[in-house]
Amino acid sequence: MKIVELDSVSKSYGNERALDKISLGIEQGERIVILGPSGCGKTTIMRLVAGFIPPDSGIVSIAGKIVSRDGKIIVPPRKRGVGMVFQDLALWPHMSVKANIEFGLKAKGFGKPERQKMIRDMLELVGMLEYMDRKPAELSGGQQQRIALARALVLEPKVLLMDEPLSSLDLDLNIRLRKEIIRLHDKLGFTMLYVTHDRDEATDIATRIITMKQGRIDLS
Amino acid sequence: MAKRAFLTLIVVLLLFLGILPVLSMLVKSLVVQGNFSLASYGSVLTSGRQWTLMWHSAALSSMVTLLTLVIGTPLGILLAESDMPFRRFFTILFVIPLLLPPYFMAVSWFDLLGRQGLLAQIAGPVATRITSDLLFGLPGCVLVLFSVFLPIPMLLTMVFLGTINPRLQEAGRLVSDWKGILKSITVPLILPGIMLSAMLVFILAFGEFSVPNFLRYDVFPVESFTQFSAFYDFKAATAAAVPLVVVTLLLMFAESVFLRENTYQIRPSQEAVHSPRIELGSHLKWLLSLVTALAFIIVIVPVLVLAVQSAHTEAYIQALDYAGKSLLRSLAYAFIAATLLVSLGFFTGYLVQKKALWCWRFVDSSLLFLFALPSTVIGIGLISLWNTRWTNFVYATPAIIIIGYLAKYTALTSRISVTGLAQVPPSMEEAAQVAGAGWFRRIFYILIPLAGPTLLAGWLVGYIFSLRDTGITMLVYPPGHETLPVRIFTLMANGSPQLVAALCILMIAAILVPGGLLAALATRMKYKVNS
Repeated sequence: MKIVELDSVSKSYGNERALDKISLGIEQGERIVILGPSGCGKTTIMRLVAGFIPPDSGIVSIAGKIVSRDGKIIVPPRKRGVGMVFQDLALWPHMSVKANIEFGLKAKGFGKPERQKMIRDMLELVGMLEYMDRKPAELSGGQQQRIALARALVLEPKVLLMDEPLSSLDLDLNIRLRKEIIRLHDKLGFTMLYVTHDRDEATDIATRIITMKQGRIDLS
Repeated sequence: MAKRAFLTLIVVLLLFLGILPVLSMLVKSLVVQGNFSLASYGSVLTSGRQWTLMWHSAALSSMVTLLTLVIGTPLGILLAESDMPFRRFFTILFVIPLLLPPYFMAVSWFDLLGRQGLLAQIAGPVATRITSDLLFGLPGCVLVLFSVFLPIPMLLTMVFLGTINPRLQEAGRLVSDWKGILKSITVPLILPGIMLSAMLVFILAFGEFSVPNFLRYDVFPVESFTQFSAFYDFKAATAAAVPLVVVTLLLMFAESVFLRENTYQIRPSQEAVHSPRIELGSHLKWLLSLVTALAFIIVIVPVLVLAVQSAHTEAYIQALDYAGKSLLRSLAYAFIAATLLVSLGFFTGYLVQKKALWCWRFVDSSLLFLFALPSTVIGIGLISLWNTRWTNFVYATPAIIIIGYLAKYTALTSRISVTGLAQVPPSMEEAAQVAGAGWFRRIFYILIPLAGPTLLAGWLVGYIFSLRDTGITMLVYPPGHETLPVRIFTLMANGSPQLVAALCILMIAAILVPGGLLAALATRMKYKVNS
């Protein structure tokens, strides 16, 4: 079954056409990378899947269920089972590492002992257990990256969206984290939609690459 | 070199205009017949009346702060973040009472609820006896000051929401509903803004004298004003002003320790305009009704009452006859003061934002201190410094009024300039520097044009606050130079309600018409600069 499906989806911002009748399907466990230059519409796809914006026309489905259709958001972001790592990571600066990860677990109604275990397991998995009580500002760029990943993965999302998450890191760290993402993917088996403009990064991470140009899929 | 010399001159000017008068007042109160003495302060600590005044002042300002915060913060969130219709209209409506002299609202409620008020014609004298008793005292003062200061937490909440990176809320939306996001992400992130608004409302309510004076509720500023204007007891007036100075200093200290780094320059998030709106869904109807009812009670009813009370041509003819010159004077002084305020504010703002002199923090704190200081204290300070044989050439002219406005309100234009300058990338000035432009050239050809819309907004704020000022003007105006708010204030005791209401309406028009036009111009300019 396709986990994410976009059927003839279009989206404009004013007179600017961001997506032009895009159709796309992502299978369970795939690592899809959307590759393209700035302004080609790749982030718009992410935001459509997350549910932050509705498509002007077309259908977005997750796990076989229609979540947005023709200008309407049918399922809100919090009920889509989607995790996301933002380009600027969007770690809440006033919360500790633990609180950042715990926020979603609390919202989903997990009990305290269960939450503690899930947080510990996840932080152990990304190698950040000892940083649990730190604030994001007290971490390095790479460490923040791991926390953003942990926060997105702790709820076991149906699909993990990653919007150029490594773009602000130096090449060395960028390459190390690519390996880390693949390791986590192999261990947890989540479906991943990854956006980048870096060809090497795309080749390293993807099981399938989609190239975009001016709001259309150029190559799949 | 030119930059340092000029900015040093600005600091000296600030000391001369604002700090020196307050110091002079304090020093004079400590000298009795040429010797150091604390006799003037004896009564502050020993008299039971002083403790009653302290209790009254604290109760009034605490209640007003609590009420404005509890209602203003959610209101700000609703108007900035939700999908409620007419958000812009409601925002403008709620801001109106803040733009008017605070006692206007008291006059209006008196016209409605007083024993001979409009309500008496409908509900009879028994009902109005109860409402009148409530109005004259703590509840009435709380109601009026609540309506006047509600826009402060509302606007600061809106401004601080505009500084949040929308991604932080979006990350929350993936897992939680709006209630959870507001509680755990949005409110903690804007907490410095909420605390700042609490501090501002407390200080302004603590120092407000015109409303408690009209509604006969004894607080420190009223005592200070009465001691000075009724008994001309300078030392008693100063002694009554000292608790106000102490409270202001304490709150200033708290602000500098806990809030300064988070609030002194606000950078709007570039992406905040694309921030997702809270969908009110089934809550929309009752929330809209609640906001409409609030706007109706605290803004529309008071203005309508004034309009109904003054709805006679003779009232306006009489008003112009009585106070036409005062109105023109008010407009002229406000125009001059706003121009000087925006100039002084720009350079102090530059000094603070660029940390251009070692004393930048002192300048910023002094300005805020002077703004927070009750008007009566600044007025008494100005009299203390300038009322001498040698300085009469200033004291006996309207210049003393303008000096008072500069002392009190430069903080506003300075903070606005800091915000405007923070949005100009440093590279803009650096590029001009590399091209060989000197400091003044960079200021006039690069920074002022780029910060233009903000400066216009600063001018407007300076104009409105100078125009509505009552406290300073009331104490320092030379004979024959009273402004319209002072004229109305003095007429309230023995003028007819129709005349007072007509004057209030004229004053509202004098504030809102140019204010609206300039606000529209500033928005247009900002749009042009951004595009």
